Order: sequence, then C-alpha cells, then structure tokens
Amino acid sequence: MVSIRHQRMRKQLSDDLTIGRDRRILKCMLNQTTIDQVFDALGDPTRRRLVERLSQGPASVSDLAKPLGITLAAVVQHLQVLERSGVVHTHKVGRVRSCRIEPTGLDLAADWIAERRSLWQRRLDRLGDILAEEEQPTRRATKKCGKS
Amino acid sequence: MHTTTKGSSVVHNTFSIERTYPSPPSLLFAAFSNQETKRRWFAEGEGWEVDQFRLDFRVGGREVSRFRKKGGAPMGNDTIYLDIVPERRIVFAYTMTVGDKRISVSLATVELARVGEGTRLLYTEQGAFFDGADGTKRRESGSRELLERLGEELRKQEQEF
Repeated sequence: MVSIRHQRMRKQLSDDLTIGRDRRILKCMLNQTTIDQVFDALGDPTRRRLVERLSQGPASVSDLAKPLGITLAAVVQHLQVLERSGVVHTHKVGRVRSCRIEPTGLDLAADWIAERRSLWQRRLDRLGDILAEEEQPTRRATKKCGKS
Repeated sequence: MHTTTKGSSVVHNTFSIERTYPSPPSLLFAAFSNQETKRRWFAEGEGWEVDQFRLDFRVGGREVSRFRKKGGAPMGNDTIYLDIVPERRIVFAYTMTVGDKRISVSLATVELARVGEGTRLLYTEQGAFFDGADGTKRRESGSRELLERLGEELRKQEQEF
C-alpha cells in the first residue's frame, strides 16, 4: 500500500515539478515552510471536513459548500489555504473548479509525525515481526502448558 | 552530572503505546531480556549504524547502545534496569544523547498481560526533554493541539490492529 502511494506521489512530483526520483530531497526542501503550513491548514475544523470529504473523491466547490452550510466564498478561502499547503489541488474545468486531495501535504505530515513521535512504535512493530519469525518453532512448545 | 546550559528549560511528556501480540508473554519477555533479539528490534532497522549494543538484563544492570544516523552525530542510549518481574513487568530509566549532549531522560514501564494465547504489551514513558536538543520539541509544542487530535486518530487506527 505504501509503495503504491509512494509510486503515485513520485510520478506526481516528477510530472508536476520535473524533479526525478529522490523524493527525500524535495521533501527536505519543502519541509521548512510546508510542514508548518500543513499543520496550520489542518488545524481548522472546517478545513479538516473539506479534506475528509475530498478523501472520498474529487468534488466541485459548490459540492463542498452544500453540506457545510457555508458560502462559496468561505469555501474558496479555505481551499486556498489547503492548496498552498499542498494538501489539496484544484483546477478549473470550464466554469467549474474541481478539487481533489494532493498526497504531498498529507504525506509530509504523516512522515513528520512518524519520524518524531513513533520511535517506540516502530520498535514495537519490529518486535512483532521478530516474534512472528520466531514463533513457528517455539510456539507449539508453550502452547498447551496452560499454566501462567 | 548533568548541567543544562542556556535557559535550562525542560519539557515533560508522558505517552503510552499498547500492542497485542499473538505470542505468549514468555516470548515477549525473552525479546527484552535477550541481547541478540533486543538488538534486532531495538537498535537495528532504523537505518542506523549500530556501533555498540550491550545488555545486562537484571535489576541494577545496564544497557548501552551507541549508534549513528547516516552522516549524523554519534548518539547514545543508556539504560538502567530498576524493576523486573519475569513475564510481567520491566521498569527502566534511560537517557538519550546526541554527540555529548543529553537530550532526554525517561522512565519507562513495560507491562505484559496474557490475553488468550497472546500478550498485551503496554509501554508507558514519562520523559523530560531538554531544551535545544534539535528544535523539534519547539515545533512539537507549537503543533501540539493538532498532534493530539491526530494522535486520537492514530490511536483509533491502532486499536483496530
């Protein structure tokens, strides 16, 4: 799943920005400004709802405005913030502005959190992997003991 | 002896991680007490170069690891074991250093409980993070509110596993 996401993003980046493969380089370049923008963008409940809606699929600005009960102008403002932070991409088709999730921003946030907060989570994941490897031979021996 | 220069500010942080493994507590416990196994999941696999890993798993015993992130300063993790109840509980204190600078001191508790044929592991860490380590703490507190919300989301996801 991760690799599909990364492949897709890589393609996206090379398409959009003609920066080849090394996503990390680009990420570092973007990090300083964008990570703050991503968190700022996602720090607002209305914008998070827009992101939640768009994660189900692309939508027009008026589609987005309806369920939120806010004006088109307000939606457009929120979308501008989301677009600047790399969380959402919009483009105009005729008179309709279509919006979709842009993976770059959310990936930055996810990577940042994973790198900063989850050393022990990663460790405990690896512990699980190692136990799974070791389990086959050892498990049977302890399985039927029943005492604790 | 530790002295903190420049402002000597400390950020305290407590967090818990819960995991359920299909393996029995004896295997979980062994993965903490066996030097070879612990080295594998604890120190290796982060893309770090591990220069040293030594484990003396007993109350009062120490664990020393020295490693480097690629191209980065040498880092250290120094642990002393404070309480060990086989297959039930491990309590230890540890410091993290980058270069010769101590960046954090933590008290960690690992609790193991049998759940069916598996084991529920609860890791709780109470830490003091010193100022000026690498600037990430400042960012973290700046984004704390959001991170907590995202944390809730991650916890929800985690519970599904």
